[in-house]
Amino acid sequence: MTATLVPGAVAGFAEVNGTKVPFEDSLNEGDGRAPIVLVHGTGGSPATHFGYVYPMLASRGRVIAITLADPAERGADELQISDFVPQVAAVMRHVLPATPAVLVGYSLGAVVAAVVAAEHPDLIASLVLVSGWAHTDTQQILRNDVWRELRSSGTDMIKEYSVFCAFGGPFLASKTREEIQPAIDAVVITPFTEAQMDLNRRIDIRESLGTVTTPTLIVASTHDQMVPVRHQKYLLGAIDDARYTEISSGHAVVFERPAELIAVIEKFIAAPAAHPAGSHIPSVKP
Amino acid sequence: MTETTHTLIIGTGFAGLGLATRLKRGGNEDFLLIDRAADVGGTWRDNDYPGAACDVPSHLYSFSFRLKPDWSRVFAPGREIWGYLQETARDEGLLSHIRFDAALVSADWDEASNTWHVQTTNGDFVASVLVTAMGHLADGKFPDIPGLANFGGHLMHSSQWNHEVDFAGKRVAVIGSGASAIQITPTVAEMAEDVVVFQRSAPYVIPRPDREYTDAEKRAFARSPELMEELRGDLFWMMEYNYAQRRGVSRFVDEAVAVALAHRNAQVTDPELNAKLTPDYVIGCKRILFSNTYYPALQKPNVTLEPAALDRVEGTTLVSASGNSFEVDVVICATGFEAVEPPFAPLISAHGRSLADHWAHGMRANSSVTVAGFPNLFMMNGPNTGLGHNSVIFVVESQIEYIVQALDFMCTTNISVVETRAEAEEAYVSEIRDRSAGTVWLAGGCTNWYVDPRTNQLTVTWPDFAYAFRESNGSFDVSAFVAT
Repeated sequence: MTATLVPGAVAGFAEVNGTKVPFEDSLNEGDGRAPIVLVHGTGGSPATHFGYVYPMLASRGRVIAITLADPAERGADELQISDFVPQVAAVMRHVLPATPAVLVGYSLGAVVAAVVAAEHPDLIASLVLVSGWAHTDTQQILRNDVWRELRSSGTDMIKEYSVFCAFGGPFLASKTREEIQPAIDAVVITPFTEAQMDLNRRIDIRESLGTVTTPTLIVASTHDQMVPVRHQKYLLGAIDDARYTEISSGHAVVFERPAELIAVIEKFIAAPAAHPAGSHIPSVKP
Repeated sequence: MTETTHTLIIGTGFAGLGLATRLKRGGNEDFLLIDRAADVGGTWRDNDYPGAACDVPSHLYSFSFRLKPDWSRVFAPGREIWGYLQETARDEGLLSHIRFDAALVSADWDEASNTWHVQTTNGDFVASVLVTAMGHLADGKFPDIPGLANFGGHLMHSSQWNHEVDFAGKRVAVIGSGASAIQITPTVAEMAEDVVVFQRSAPYVIPRPDREYTDAEKRAFARSPELMEELRGDLFWMMEYNYAQRRGVSRFVDEAVAVALAHRNAQVTDPELNAKLTPDYVIGCKRILFSNTYYPALQKPNVTLEPAALDRVEGTTLVSASGNSFEVDVVICATGFEAVEPPFAPLISAHGRSLADHWAHGMRANSSVTVAGFPNLFMMNGPNTGLGHNSVIFVVESQIEYIVQALDFMCTTNISVVETRAEAEEAYVSEIRDRSAGTVWLAGGCTNWYVDPRTNQLTVTWPDFAYAFRESNGSFDVSAFVAT
């Protein structure tokens, strides 16, 4: 049995359409607030995308971190968002049969989470969409083209390219080349990552968004080159009960500014309606 | 002579000057500040030992409402920080509000007139509201060691440096290996004949990413001030990240230890010395120190590390707990400050009880700022306001906001007395207990100055992210008070 990311947590899986969907559940009741469910982004996992956020959120309450799974029956077929939505819903029904949760999705995980909220509103108390988007645009397609070409050519330069895209310019500029190397070395690309990168080209959840009624927080990153802030501002327009906040970071906000991400999530959870629908929430000015 | 004022602030360090600046800028002129010394600056005035500097980058360790584009370095020297505070007092028009050489003798709440009666060594004051703005690092603490008081040479505390002493040709003992000692040792080693450092417990030391700012950078800050705000945000959230380690999350504890270990191994190649410098507790339990010069200083031929406490002093001979003797001319006690039992507590009284009485089982307050049974008293840098991982100026500014809101409330509603409900204080103390459980300060296997030895409760440090302090304690909550 592998060690859990949070001491005292249990690891398990839910089964949907023959696919095992792993999750880790911190179990602690904390201060009695609604449990939080985390959905990672492209090529990620709870350990890589939520290595900071998960244990720190779990120090105050129950957190369940899901690992999206490659569907058992997929074969060579294209991945669809509809492959992941039932996975998240299945884990939530399995772990929290009668308790609506705060669903937090990051990047591709935010796309999945938004559709879960549209299709399974009974599971959700509130929704946090971090660096998400509704419809892939041409800038994203071009970036994806370059990634795909680097991947098929087999060059290791794809790792550098991934870091270059994921982190914000100011963050990269504040580091030396040597300090960035560990992030480059940590890039791992699997066939499942390739399938998710392909899915990223075809995202269009615009119709689902209109049916989301859950109180929602949209988190954008000022220096995001992969899913620029125009996408999150669109989400703010598309989801009825949404409010928006921006973090001075690149797309990799879970690595660059995880403490601020926790700050905005905690504040939203404590009082989702503190900022009215449609508002921009100002950042903390240290 | 007795002066009357609405708000009397004790202390002219970051807290006192910051609050006064906000009041003055808000058009409030009805306040006075008192200070026991002849100049402003608090801990940065007192701690003027050679090598004094701050462990928080200056662009963050400064007021958000007084950004300074021309900080000379990432970590400005202590003298420059003191200059910043002197400039603040002057530029903000605060000097005429300050009474110097006025050390607090007593402060008593008078129920008949709803005022504080304050005696100082330089005049008396009557005030509706009293604000204590003394820091945690205000009163130097000498260790209780047999014979130390009768030491036959020069004896000084790091915060009361004796600038008359010429170190040339002298044999010097530095007592302690904490934040002051690691700054003092490298500079004193340059001047003195011999230096011995008494180390009771080896600290964790990590690199200090310091450098000078170029003229172009300083002018860029001046010409585009938003650069300073962006840098401030980057620094704040970068430091905030390190709370995970204080929280005791193993992955981040390991990450921090790896940084300290790599620094020690790179700088200390002698395995014997390296072993003596290896800490025996969880990183962060005591303050993590930033230095590029401490380990190299310890390896100079004229410097000796004695990995033991000072046991006793016989004339000019210092004997360590290991039995080793050292003959010295100067003893520098870099032994920290009175933090868990502030020396001002016995001087402040209301309803026949002093703060020291109220705090017989440890410092406590509501929202770290007001105390049940002490009407119209606000404390800055009071219980659970220290930070182990981020800039305390963020806490100071949160408390300024709280107090300004409280004063505004009293003014606009014609309320003359606000007193914290005992239940509110109790609830806050219990919340602090919950937050602090499992943090490295309590569970890290060390003794530190953040924990009250009488109760083993964390009473000095705020046990959470810094942003959470502002969320929890950054605005006046009238429901916690009886207002009349």
